[in-house]
Amino acid sequence: MPLRSPLSDPLNQVFSALADPSRRHLLGYLADHGTATATEMTGELPMTRQAVAKHLVALSGAGLVESERAGREIRYRLTETGEEWDDRLDALRRHLERHGS
Amino acid sequence: MIRKEIVLPASPEEVWHALTDPERLADWFANRVELDLRPGGDARFGWDNGEQRRATVTEVKPGERLAFSWEDEGEVEFTLAADVAGTRLTVVETAPAWTTALDLHASALAVV
Repeated sequence: MPLRSPLSDPLNQVFSALADPSRRHLLGYLADHGTATATEMTGELPMTRQAVAKHLVALSGAGLVESERAGREIRYRLTETGEEWDDRLDALRRHLERHGS
Repeated sequence: MIRKEIVLPASPEEVWHALTDPERLADWFANRVELDLRPGGDARFGWDNGEQRRATVTEVKPGERLAFSWEDEGEVEFTLAADVAGTRLTVVETAPAWTTALDLHASALAVV
């Protein structure tokens, strides 16, 4: 079986994105603040704006953060995993069980 | 994009009622529900913690498909399919403004 190229392996991208302490720092910041721009993160963390931007590219490439354009800047947040839908669908299943019996 | 799938122990018709009857929605989705079930119809959801959200119904295909668009952000699509165990329900929620695509970043890097 041929080996997959490390660069095309999504899991490898995630691990290498998480391997860097600065990137874990950025993820922690977004977890605490919800959304932020690169400028806001540069003001709060001991990194240059170029470093923040470079790390955000790596995190985005690994699918860990997502972004939206907000005027002239880009806002970032942790990629949503839809946990609230897990809860809602679980509630729907319980509702149907109650209703059916 | 968020995509979730669940197999529910009820017929597609029964699941459809649970998804579209305001009284039943108020038992599992929100605490207060108003729903005008037709394309373009208004939907209002209220929760006991004070949260309120409005949406517009975009697609109504009884027993098969229901879609609405949140007023604040994103689209939600329910698709129902008969399954040996009952109904397979798929939910897809998209927020088109948010992306992990890298093209946005070229401009982010340029703005210094």
